[in-house]
Amino acid sequence: MSQEQRNQSQVATANRSFFNNPRNRALIYQFLLLLGLGYFFYNIVSNTLANMEARGIKSGFDFLFTASGFDILMTLIPYDATSTYGRTFVVGLLNTILVSAVGIFFATIIGFIMGVAYFSRNWLINRLSIIYVETFRNIPLLLQVFFWYFAVLAALPSPRESMSFGESIFLNVRGLFLPEVVGEPGSNWVVFAFFAGLGITWYIKKWAKKRQDETGEQFPVLSTGLAIILGLPLLAMLITGIPFYLEYPELKGFSFRGGVTVIPELMALTVALSVYTGTFIAEAVRAGIQSVPHGQTEAARSIGMKERKIMSLIIVPQAMRVIVPLLNSEYQSLVKNSTLATAIGYPDLFTVFVGTSLNQTGQAIEIVFMTMAVYFVINMIISFLMNRFNASVALVERK
Amino acid sequence: MKEFKPLPARPAPIQTAGPIGWIRNNLFPTPLNSLVTLLILAFLATIIPDLVSWLFIDADWEGETQAACTSEGACWVFVSAWMQQFLYGSYPTDEIWRINLAILVLGAVIAAPYLLPKDLRNKVGVPLFLAFPFVGAAFLDGRLFGLEFVSTDYWGGFTLNIFLASASIIIAFPLSFLWALGRRSDMPFTKSVCIVLIEFFRGVPVLALFFMGSVMLPLFFPEGTNVDKLLRVWIVLILFMSGYMAEVFRGGFAAIPQGQYEAADSLGLSYWQKTLLIILPQVIKVSMPNILATFIMLFKNTTFLLIIGIFEILSTTQTALSNSNWLGGHAAEGYLFVALVFWVCCFGMSLISANIERKLDTSHRS
Repeated sequence: MSQEQRNQSQVATANRSFFNNPRNRALIYQFLLLLGLGYFFYNIVSNTLANMEARGIKSGFDFLFTASGFDILMTLIPYDATSTYGRTFVVGLLNTILVSAVGIFFATIIGFIMGVAYFSRNWLINRLSIIYVETFRNIPLLLQVFFWYFAVLAALPSPRESMSFGESIFLNVRGLFLPEVVGEPGSNWVVFAFFAGLGITWYIKKWAKKRQDETGEQFPVLSTGLAIILGLPLLAMLITGIPFYLEYPELKGFSFRGGVTVIPELMALTVALSVYTGTFIAEAVRAGIQSVPHGQTEAARSIGMKERKIMSLIIVPQAMRVIVPLLNSEYQSLVKNSTLATAIGYPDLFTVFVGTSLNQTGQAIEIVFMTMAVYFVINMIISFLMNRFNASVALVERK
Repeated sequence: MKEFKPLPARPAPIQTAGPIGWIRNNLFPTPLNSLVTLLILAFLATIIPDLVSWLFIDADWEGETQAACTSEGACWVFVSAWMQQFLYGSYPTDEIWRINLAILVLGAVIAAPYLLPKDLRNKVGVPLFLAFPFVGAAFLDGRLFGLEFVSTDYWGGFTLNIFLASASIIIAFPLSFLWALGRRSDMPFTKSVCIVLIEFFRGVPVLALFFMGSVMLPLFFPEGTNVDKLLRVWIVLILFMSGYMAEVFRGGFAAIPQGQYEAADSLGLSYWQKTLLIILPQVIKVSMPNILATFIMLFKNTTFLLIIGIFEILSTTQTALSNSNWLGGHAAEGYLFVALVFWVCCFGMSLISANIERKLDTSHRS
């Protein structure tokens, strides 16, 4: 074959296989996708602009600086009807963070207790754990929220006949009333002592790890740390003369004044969220513990470890590898599910922003996207923290 | 020679076998455990009699109106009087056979792959499956079939929850598979589009998506088009579901050994032949338990539609509770009924999923 012929045949192959070349195909497909998406978004944007003009909807974020004109049931920062929509946003955000944090706290506790209870030798405890998980996992969350709010909390007695626990905690149809801890001058020292205790404990932990790595000697970090974290504030309290007093809620007229009030909406939502998410966390804990082969326990016993050490050094660290990624997604879904607040009127971000503010301003696009962005960011933060935690428990491969 | 006659075996010691042994081992193994057992038993003893008498013994079962509820216990008359609303919403009574028929067909479509001969399974079963949502919706609507027209405003009740959930997952199936394929493809642009889609629909609260469907989607359509509310909800549910299912499929892809791809390539199969004939069946098999779990989640989440004013079962319950003829505080009965209905469905599906998982489990761990 002459040089020319060979070139010709190469060209022919190249011609034939232009569409069969995966690289060219990929380029064409992606170009088509880009065209399609471009057309789709062009349509949406032009339709939206036309619709908004036709309906007289304003756009832009100016509304954030105008007065909202409505009051909010529960606010963590000062707020009234003259406050701006921007402040409404912050109030809602804080309420969302509050209910999510409290929900995550209780869900974790319930979940871990129930997950471990599954492995109890006691038949009753094991059954209770199974019944709890299978009951509450299979009932829609919104139904549980309604159940606690409309069937349980609405059946509580009126303020005058409220249930009282030691004349300091009151529970009635208006909510839960707790005594408030009020600090007097000097209370700052106690808070400072607490944080100082945390810092010292962290330092001791580092020192103990280093010493154990070098000499093999162990140091009781947990008990010393607890003693320091609790002892230092106690000492500071005694020195400054107990600078705290409790403000008890008192019945005045038709309701209670003073102290801390937990509104029934918050109670119902927290209980429902923690009980519902607790079932999934219990399942995660169960799966985690089951994922540790029994041989690990046997091996630990055969080298003479104590039962408690086996739990804390062998089982838990390995179970955590399975549990933490699952916890991550459960926490995220709890935050997302906290939007159900809007069904019972707890003023979370969704209720005050997508609910009330959207109704009043009509600026659907800005408000819905701002809200979505917030949940996105909260979930990214949770994900980031849990991934950091996960990295600390993950399997370290041989180097 | 004396024959050896063994003595009859003595029964096991009463402390270790039989009911007493079981109780000792499982209820009172240690002092602390015994205390907990006694506490739990005492707790159960205080609540169970009251609960049983409220639920069954003192309850009112028969009657038509609230006046029939005279005793102390639960008023199940409330549930029976509203039963049709709970199940079918305000769908015209004469046309309810259409809903029942559609439910039966849904069951048949799900059962079809098991009943059809092997060579027809994919050719008939899959198109049936994919056509069901559209044909079913048209049938309930009635106009195309020459039946009486029933506007979607009248659709409701528990059957609506079932239809919305199944219609969404059926359409989400191919869509999410495409997204999952896109996510693992080598084409950078396609890949990033799929990642953004999946993460968006997974990361945003489903309520926000529903609001997007009810307040923002109308802005996206050309002026003057009026898209049915239920249709918008359906679109949102499909997209939401696809986001979650795509991640389930991604997990399934990860479980398929590389050798399967290589074997398909060496046979000279094209990309789509390889994906649809070799990989997809295995992916579905591996991810079946997770698909069911996702479906259970979607099914429970259909109650969230109450917030944007769709008359699914929970919303109907709320309406019934605030009805002026039934203002007797029947919240507990109503919610218990809805909870029972959901519980039976979801628990049943989770049993099926656990069963599949056990069948597929080929590990030698016990």
